[in-house]
Amino acid sequence: MVGLSAGEKNFIRGGIEQDLRADGRQRQDFRPILIETGVIPQANGSARVRFGATDVIASVKAELGKPNPLQPGRGKVAIYVDCSPTAAPAFERGGGEELSTELSAALQKCLLGGKSGAGAGIDLSSLMVLEGKVCWDLYIDGLVVSSDGNLLDALAAAIKAALTNTGIPKVDVGVGASPDEQPEVNISDEEFLQFDTSAVPVIITLTKVGREYIVDATSDEESQMSSAVSVSVNSHGKVCGLIKRGGAGLDASVILDMVSAARHVSQKLIPLLDSEIDAAEAASLAGQGSDVDP
Amino acid sequence: MLQSKSFMKMTRHGRAVKVVREHYLRDDIYCGVQYCKVCDTKDARLGSSESTILVVDTNVILHQIDLLENPAMDDVVVLDVVMEEVKNKNLSVYNRLKALCTSSQRKFFIFYNEYHKDTYVKQMVGETSNDRNDRAIRVATQWYQNHLAGSSRVLLITNDRENKRKAIEEGLSAETVESYVKSLGQPGLLDLVVVSSSEDVNVMEVEETRPSKRKAIYSEHKPMSEITHGLHRGIYHQGKLRVNRYNPFEAYVGSESIGDEIIIYGRSNMNRAFDGDIVAVELLPQDQWHDVKKLSIEDEGKDEEEGVHLVPGSADDAPRGTVPSAVPSETMNSTSCRPSGKVIGIIKRNWQSYCGSLEPMSMPAGDGGVAYALFISKDRRIPKIRIQTRQLGNLLNKRIIVAVDSWDCLSRYPSGHYVRTIGNIGDKKTEDEVILIENDINSRPFSMQVLACLPPLPWNLSPEDLMNPNRVDLRHVRVFSVDPPGCTDIDDALHCTSLSNGNFEVGVHIADVTNFVHPETPLDKEASQRGTSVYLVDRRIDMLPKPLTEDICSLRSDVERLAFSVIWEITPQAEITSTRYTKSVIKSCAALSYVEAQARMDDSRLMDPLTTDLRNLNSLAKIMRQRRIERGALTLASAEVKFQIDTETHDPLDIGIYQIREANQMIEEFMLAANISVAEKILKHFPLCSLLRRHPSPTKDMLEPLLRITASIGLDLDVSSSKALADSLDHAVGEDPYFNKLIRILATRCMTQAVYFCSGDLSPQEFHHYGLAAPLYTHFTSPIRRYADVIVHRLLAAALGISKLPPVFLDRNQLTSVSDNLNYRHRNAQMASRASVELNTVIYFRKRPTDTEARIVKIRANGFIVFVPKFGIEGPVYLVKRGEKSDWLVDEANQRVTKAGSGVNYRVLQAVKIHMEVVEHQPNRPKLELTLI
Amino acid sequence: MEYVKLSGFRLDGRRPTEMRHIHAEVGAVANADGSASFEMGNTKVIAAVYGPKEVENKGQQIGNKALVRCEYSMANFSTGDRARRPKGDRRSTELSLVIRQTMEACILTHLMPRSQIDIYVQVLQADGGTRSACINAATLALADAGIPMCDLVTSCAAGYLNSTPLLDLNYLEDSAGGPDVTVGLLSKLDKVTLLQMDAKLPLDIFENVMQLAIEGCKAIANLIRQVLLENTKKLEYLRGT
Repeated sequence: MVGLSAGEKNFIRGGIEQDLRADGRQRQDFRPILIETGVIPQANGSARVRFGATDVIASVKAELGKPNPLQPGRGKVAIYVDCSPTAAPAFERGGGEELSTELSAALQKCLLGGKSGAGAGIDLSSLMVLEGKVCWDLYIDGLVVSSDGNLLDALAAAIKAALTNTGIPKVDVGVGASPDEQPEVNISDEEFLQFDTSAVPVIITLTKVGREYIVDATSDEESQMSSAVSVSVNSHGKVCGLIKRGGAGLDASVILDMVSAARHVSQKLIPLLDSEIDAAEAASLAGQGSDVDP
Repeated sequence: MLQSKSFMKMTRHGRAVKVVREHYLRDDIYCGVQYCKVCDTKDARLGSSESTILVVDTNVILHQIDLLENPAMDDVVVLDVVMEEVKNKNLSVYNRLKALCTSSQRKFFIFYNEYHKDTYVKQMVGETSNDRNDRAIRVATQWYQNHLAGSSRVLLITNDRENKRKAIEEGLSAETVESYVKSLGQPGLLDLVVVSSSEDVNVMEVEETRPSKRKAIYSEHKPMSEITHGLHRGIYHQGKLRVNRYNPFEAYVGSESIGDEIIIYGRSNMNRAFDGDIVAVELLPQDQWHDVKKLSIEDEGKDEEEGVHLVPGSADDAPRGTVPSAVPSETMNSTSCRPSGKVIGIIKRNWQSYCGSLEPMSMPAGDGGVAYALFISKDRRIPKIRIQTRQLGNLLNKRIIVAVDSWDCLSRYPSGHYVRTIGNIGDKKTEDEVILIENDINSRPFSMQVLACLPPLPWNLSPEDLMNPNRVDLRHVRVFSVDPPGCTDIDDALHCTSLSNGNFEVGVHIADVTNFVHPETPLDKEASQRGTSVYLVDRRIDMLPKPLTEDICSLRSDVERLAFSVIWEITPQAEITSTRYTKSVIKSCAALSYVEAQARMDDSRLMDPLTTDLRNLNSLAKIMRQRRIERGALTLASAEVKFQIDTETHDPLDIGIYQIREANQMIEEFMLAANISVAEKILKHFPLCSLLRRHPSPTKDMLEPLLRITASIGLDLDVSSSKALADSLDHAVGEDPYFNKLIRILATRCMTQAVYFCSGDLSPQEFHHYGLAAPLYTHFTSPIRRYADVIVHRLLAAALGISKLPPVFLDRNQLTSVSDNLNYRHRNAQMASRASVELNTVIYFRKRPTDTEARIVKIRANGFIVFVPKFGIEGPVYLVKRGEKSDWLVDEANQRVTKAGSGVNYRVLQAVKIHMEVVEHQPNRPKLELTLI
Repeated sequence: MEYVKLSGFRLDGRRPTEMRHIHAEVGAVANADGSASFEMGNTKVIAAVYGPKEVENKGQQIGNKALVRCEYSMANFSTGDRARRPKGDRRSTELSLVIRQTMEACILTHLMPRSQIDIYVQVLQADGGTRSACINAATLALADAGIPMCDLVTSCAAGYLNSTPLLDLNYLEDSAGGPDVTVGLLSKLDKVTLLQMDAKLPLDIFENVMQLAIEGCKAIANLIRQVLLENTKKLEYLRGT
């Protein structure tokens, strides 16, 4: 990527100071959000989310597994993110590995809570099939197709949409198995369980440029940031996770200020996302079996 | 239009995978009705005007295929959804259905409802796939009704009450099979209709006036879910049930899970399983593992007894299981080590049509009504089958074909229905036909399409054939053939010329069948299906049409013929110094019979060039044969029977063992050499797709009966290798001049048969041919009568660069299935030949009761089995009358049976005098009986 | 197994010489110099082109023509059973090479000396024919990036199952183990630039199968041309001229 000239830098900083950013947005405005669900039919659930020129895909695959013996009543969820070289030449030959790992870890923390699973946005006990024996393992894969800043927020939104799109087949557990052997399971072809994703939080990253902070920064804006804080907030306005990534040190009071700003933004963002997801779900249902020229 | 289908699938590792497939819907699928004005009628085959168009559901096809094959049923629409269901449920019915749909004689049309935009239905939530498919059938019927809009009647045929009700509700015409067939007004057709089992029960209740007396004869089959679960947990075992050909009350299930055969004794343990069914078996507690010996006399065997039959040619033909395992007799009374079990469920039925006759019965009083009769199959492995018929008088004393429909646990016998009549019992033509049907041999005349592939007659050598650079002109060479007398399909000829360096040039010339039979033509497909010519005593069923077998390909004398030649240079010590393969043109100078050839060689006055050639060949052959025997090739004996047939009545006039002469062995030797040379050549060029023939080494178990007999007479056989066995067979000489031959015959029946296989399917060590002691072997020398040779000819031609390799060779699965079919056909052809000889044996002895000498080959509790060398047959001789208690004791270690309290005993291999006579215990059912004099 | 039914329908309802439904779009990746998405049935691929630009690694610079590079990657969720794939495994390296060589053959590299063109192809969903879909997507992306090419290279596969030549195999047909011929074609020049086959096939049948694949390439070329034309019209309209 070609670096910015001093004039461009000044223009970006100045715009943010005056609450009129280079693309005409105010500091707390998101770019137009576009959501499609069911884009990967082979997955149990999937969604593609675009924030302006940032474009990510999330998919959910469900596999039958054995629960962790320490938490016999819960299923397991893992999140992996990949950065496709299509998004930026810098990601080629594994160049995106570092960023991918960082994003995966941040999403894991913000959406799934800590190691204990406390504070998870997904009800892990709903993934239970037979206590201690069989559970669903969800593999959530994120793919960055095009990158123009604010990847974390976009990925979180995509995962929320993909989970809403997910149908997990109903499972019949074979009867008569003795307690010490793995039971036989039958997967239904017709009946699917839907997820309640209302508790899945959104992530809002506040990027500090100069003295102000903005939401949904483009990559040009991100290049001017001094530090950034990502806050995950659920529909009740509760903060589910918080990550400060890189950059200069912040006063604790500024952080608190940023958190409350994030909560404020979330009250606009969550309904917006929900309605977009619902619209996308409706479109994807209607799209099945639609007329297409052979 | 695009539909996407998705479903969940469990992988082998127990992982759930979502599978997504595209499904395209189209608007260019036509109705197939000839007078339709909307559709493209190019491929239409349904309907003249005013006919009824029938739409049938899956169960109608599965159960009523015999009815559908009757020409009275026509204008049938077969829906794609039905095709698929039939394919999944019963492959053999599917193949018959496919034949109906492709036959130009019949009006069956496949409508691809699943791809038609108006008839595709999506499975609804909560709907089972069965219901969805039934709905799809109704939607398609509806479409036909609207599409044809009154120009013809569209009728849905279904026996499913629910489906019929819904169809009528939706405004369709629907009828059951029975009511439709009744409406046709052809009473004969009604016998073909399979009565559904629920109605069957009603009928039986009428017949059995006290329903309370009806109790379950067999135990209920376990539900499928329980079976799968039990198999998974190792309680049940799955395998194919094979009924003992010689004792229908004994069956075996080869189980992979316990790595041994499970024996099933008695009909109640077999629990309604047929031979060839895939069953689930539960092992019986060990204290119920019966002693085999005891069982052969007790149990339900009362109305069954062993018949006289031909001497088995290999282990595959031999009675089995009747020998107990090698446990010393003391311990045998307590427990036996062979697991026995009972069938608890049937996973896949192998029901077919069976050939046989009705059990003799008196005509019921009320004539013309429905009568019940018991059908007895020719194949003893099949239980009696109950059928109902409206034409009992016509069927008694006839050979008929019957198909099985159901068997519920309340009835002793399965129920079935009459399919067709073959002819009168005992009529030679009928019995021949029965043999052919039983062995699945196609004896129909060749179709027009097949005959159209033949070159125009009369065929003559064309100048193009001579100009062909790949074809060598060998017409100047002194080629001749040696065959059995009267042979018309001559597929091999030889020549032998002395070279200036003292060596010989020997050529084997084989009819160039592939020059006329081109791959993928109807002719080729037909030959591939038939697999081999079948030789009955007085009839030959050709693999190829007569003009090819007897004229164009046959290497007759004094005519120019195309050949495929293997030409060696051989030293006088019979070492091959070079081999070459070429297509050729030959002109045979003499078609000799074995007797003629032998006579020429033996007549020392004859010094003509042809006789010299024969003598040279013979001396080479002797050396080659000696060398082969030294390598360990077995000279196994079989007793081939030859009949002399009356040319007018076709009855056998004389019977005797076929005499093998030096001339036969000479020809055989060169054919073996040619086959081996060709096998080497094709394998070198096509290591993965050559068709070869292997003969697996017999296992210790298989040789067990032989070893037990020889041990009892103090003869020690070394069976560690074929060489060792061959040597010990050579040393097995007793005071009886026939002793050695007898031992060889007994050894032969321990071997399995050689089989064809595709070289890519096995590892090179497994290619070995045990009997010939050759590392490689194939069949090249009889392309007129064996399809394997045709394949090998093509391989050889491709290896020489003469022609391209046909596509079948590139598809290993296809090649494997071709070789499987060849093995199946080959085996059936042999069984048919044997059956034909047995049939003629009975006819021969009917007028000629004979006394002759026989050898005991097996000891039984109530008698022994004898072998009659003169006629090549064996059969039981009973020391005790049926039903009487046996006072004979069996001494297993010494293979001896002794009468209690007296010194009278019989031992194995002992010579006895017997009387052979044909008796008729039941009218029209003659059988040959052997009695001790 | 039966892949072609009695009267010639394939399992998914197509006839032997029909392609799957194709959807192509230009401009899938906003920040790239050129990009496109290409779908053949359930196979979905995105391609992005960056360049021509300065050569990053000066050691790779070529004096008289442009350096073309290509990287192929598969998303974790692109196949039925999910798998974490290591970057740069043998298969992707081979595919990267195939795509690079095919594209290099149609780019007029001599017009852009000492510069670099990066092509990235990302498989979102694989259902047979990924190789061809990648090449078609790359062609569209290159055209979108305005990179001079001598012709549009398009690709299509054909196979041979149940003794029938079949166009554009899906995954199910592809896994049947029959021969699979992938052809890359410069449609206007009528030159084959890519030809791969992975099983034995007699020459005369091969000829038919290859001819079928070539017909497929030509059909795709027409479609791609159409897509580019529409896109140009749209751009023209946006510019308001």
